[in-house]
Amino acid sequence: MSRPRWFNVRQDLSPRRRASLTVFAFLLPLALWSIVSYVPFIWHPMISVTEPGDIAWLKPGQLIDRADFAKEVETLRASGGNVPSGTRANPIFLPAPHEVGRALYTAFTTAPVLRGDKWLHESLWTSIRTIGWGFLISCALGIPLGILCGAFVSVSRSSEPFVDFVRYMPAPAFGALMVAIFGIHLEPKIGIIVIGTFFQQVLIVANTVRKVDGGLLEAAQTLGAKRRQLVLRVLVPASLPDLYNDTRILLGWAWTYLIVAEVVGVSSGITFFINQQAKYRNFDNVYAAIIIIGIIGVATDQLLARLGQHLFAWKNPRPSRLRNFFSRLFAGRTVPLFPEKTHTPVS
Amino acid sequence: MRLRHLLTSLAVCTASILSAAPLKVAYSDWPGWTAFAIAEQKGWFKEAGVEVELLWFEYGPSMEAFTAGKVDAVMVTNGDGLVTGAGGAKNVAILITDYSNGNDMVVAKPGIKSLKDLKGKKIGLEVGFVPHLLLLNGLQKAGMKESDVELVPTPTSQTPQVLASGQVDAIAAWQPNSGQALTALPGSTAVYTSADQPGLIYDTVSVSPQSLSQRRADWVKFVKVWDKTVAYLNDPKTKDDGIKIMAARAGVDPKDYAAFIGGTKLLSLADSAKIFTSTSKGFDSLAGSSKLSDEFNVKNEVYKQPQDIKSYIDASLTLEAIK
Repeated sequence: MSRPRWFNVRQDLSPRRRASLTVFAFLLPLALWSIVSYVPFIWHPMISVTEPGDIAWLKPGQLIDRADFAKEVETLRASGGNVPSGTRANPIFLPAPHEVGRALYTAFTTAPVLRGDKWLHESLWTSIRTIGWGFLISCALGIPLGILCGAFVSVSRSSEPFVDFVRYMPAPAFGALMVAIFGIHLEPKIGIIVIGTFFQQVLIVANTVRKVDGGLLEAAQTLGAKRRQLVLRVLVPASLPDLYNDTRILLGWAWTYLIVAEVVGVSSGITFFINQQAKYRNFDNVYAAIIIIGIIGVATDQLLARLGQHLFAWKNPRPSRLRNFFSRLFAGRTVPLFPEKTHTPVS
Repeated sequence: MRLRHLLTSLAVCTASILSAAPLKVAYSDWPGWTAFAIAEQKGWFKEAGVEVELLWFEYGPSMEAFTAGKVDAVMVTNGDGLVTGAGGAKNVAILITDYSNGNDMVVAKPGIKSLKDLKGKKIGLEVGFVPHLLLLNGLQKAGMKESDVELVPTPTSQTPQVLASGQVDAIAAWQPNSGQALTALPGSTAVYTSADQPGLIYDTVSVSPQSLSQRRADWVKFVKVWDKTVAYLNDPKTKDDGIKIMAARAGVDPKDYAAFIGGTKLLSLADSAKIFTSTSKGFDSLAGSSKLSDEFNVKNEVYKQPQDIKSYIDASLTLEAIK
């Protein structure tokens, strides 16, 4: 028996290999970033001035193009002046990993200077709340409408063309309107996120419901199912796992709208931090904030994915206690919620 | 009879609730405006007997919020006050906080030493905005016309990169962008700045006419606090603490922020009273400066109808505050 190969068409890997590849997926970009940052002869197109020499406009710490610097040095050498010196550096928009790491740490540990200002984790919480509400409202409206569109052609024809039309309108363009209607605090930002996700959601949900196998509907009809039952007992349960996945993907969508939503009205949340730090070219802080958003995104997505595996176990044949619990919960009174453990005697 | 009593007491009640609501003031990142954070942090508004809620915005959204009627006042340049008013949100300048004294710049690439050298060259700037006005003013002084240069429409926040990339020969922008343009392209110089034409750009606190008529006494108190703030920043003993608060509001290092304060001439109420009341047609009066802004705006089709400058200015609160 030979060792399993790394590359097999559409075949799963051992859990160990899967885990190590996940780590590799993050280590590879980090390694590339480190190489570009710490190996001085790779890239480093600028010179960070250490000693300005006889050039009046140079200041220590200033970044200058390597070619320009070389030209200046040459002309100074020719005229016999004091030659400036410097070390190779990357442009300001590419800070080294440790600088971003430090910025990440200090961003959380620095107390707000002003009375009434927020810690970074409080700003983050504001952002998460904005997303949460926006997404919840979008789901509450979008999922039912999407299901109806998927079930009934008449609903679909009378709403989808317009939804499709609005979908192309850039959500940020509604900023001034949102402020005029909802004021300047959290509400207009939530409004932008709803506009950004709702219209996509309706179409995606409708499409998913339409993909339900027609055979299931026919089978239900032969068993005498009515219209209401066809929707609630066939279409919805059959498309539920896919709807769950759609919603997960749309949540990521909502995060992308956060950045435009949060500049509407009073500056707040993580976006204000990013914008302000970018304006003053503190790129280490900018990357730190972007990484925070990435971590939150991946964490929620993984959490939801795990939950999905438990909830929709028939898509994933691993047994799940959580799923058993839920299926018993909805099964009715005849099935006990917490069945007594039956000890099988070891023979 | 009873009903009338009830109604009057109700009216008095609502009136007192209305007057107790804080004055909502939108401000954004400019040294003359972040200075108000000092007054807020030190509790000077409360001391003066007026409730003020300062709301921190990006500059554009702050004007949007004012236009939508969600705040009572907004801090804008005198030119942008006209633009906001022409768009339907009438506003009245009751306080001049400062004028730009070098923070707005025309930055040219190495080798270009003066505006005259820019003849036939490309200049990146946001057309119809303050940097454009600054450039025209400079060109006029250098005996040149707008058609002598080629304007490249560029968002102000992107001017540093655009200049450094070599796509244009010069840019016009305000801080922190103008300073970054200077660092982004070593050897570049500021060939013309707002320090060459003091009063080209005044920064104001502009109030909605409705709030001004309903809460005039409160606004006078608000104006009075400004003198205390300017004094705090002019006193060498307290200046650093003031800058620390302003920098914290902007979210940057105090050292970085201090560099922008020199390019802003903060005006005491006595100084601004002179600018308010002067009838000069030049830049040493608010009316004169606004008139020139108005002509610029109409010419560049920022709006169509020339504005009635007088209706945008109310000097009386500043005059009352220094009495």
